[in-house]
Amino acid sequence: MGNLSSEAVNFGKDGTDAMKRWLKKPWPYWAGGVLLGLLNILLLAVSGTVWQVSGGYLLWAAGILERFGLKPFQWDYFQSFQPRYAEIIATHSVFFNQYTILNLGVAAGALIAALLASQFKLGKIKGWKQAAFALLGGILMGYGSRLTGGCNIGGFFSGIPSLSLHAWVFWIFAMAGAWLGAKLLIRFMT
Amino acid sequence: MKVRDLDCLYEVCPIPLIKAVKELKKMNSGDVLVVHSDESCVGVMMEEWAKQNHYSIQIEEPKDGEWEIYLQKP
Repeated sequence: MGNLSSEAVNFGKDGTDAMKRWLKKPWPYWAGGVLLGLLNILLLAVSGTVWQVSGGYLLWAAGILERFGLKPFQWDYFQSFQPRYAEIIATHSVFFNQYTILNLGVAAGALIAALLASQFKLGKIKGWKQAAFALLGGILMGYGSRLTGGCNIGGFFSGIPSLSLHAWVFWIFAMAGAWLGAKLLIRFMT
Repeated sequence: MKVRDLDCLYEVCPIPLIKAVKELKKMNSGDVLVVHSDESCVGVMMEEWAKQNHYSIQIEEPKDGEWEIYLQKP
């Protein structure tokens, strides 16, 4: 083990060709950032809507509650966000709309990338602690994203180029939250 | 030289790195830590960390989508 080298990254015995490297090796963050920015511009130009994620799940959840006899679309929340969702609510397309297509696209794209890299693998839950923290984190993130009118994609990533001041406020508090989260992570998860 | 295994399968970034750093603190110079992970970004992250901290590192993908990251304490 004396001749370990930081350059000696192995891609499997037959995986020396450039295409395989390109598909298998994670791309640098700047490349992902540039691509995401360009694709978001393209999406806006073609569809008239910027990329957003959590709004689609909000509509699904509200649609499920409706099935149970509740009337979430009459709640104050939807009254305040009426212009954004009015058309979808009016046409009863809470389960299938432009946000659903975007979210399915995210899952499909990730699946294709994993399959092309031969890295598709079903994950498992490691233990009750991991599951409990994931669930708690999901609830906090979901609730927070609804309070601020968008998650880190719709509210921040698409908000900054929209010249929305609220996205900058989001950024400040997301940073504070990430700092706190990192402290909690080290304390409780490792 | 001792070799220790660290099972980080199904764990997301940056937990494997934090666990590895904690484990390496308990080890001696020349010892090797083998981190098992199924997330591609773990190797990238550890490579960067190893470079900064002058650790020798080698990354293998023995199974598709599963990595073994060898870290040797300087």
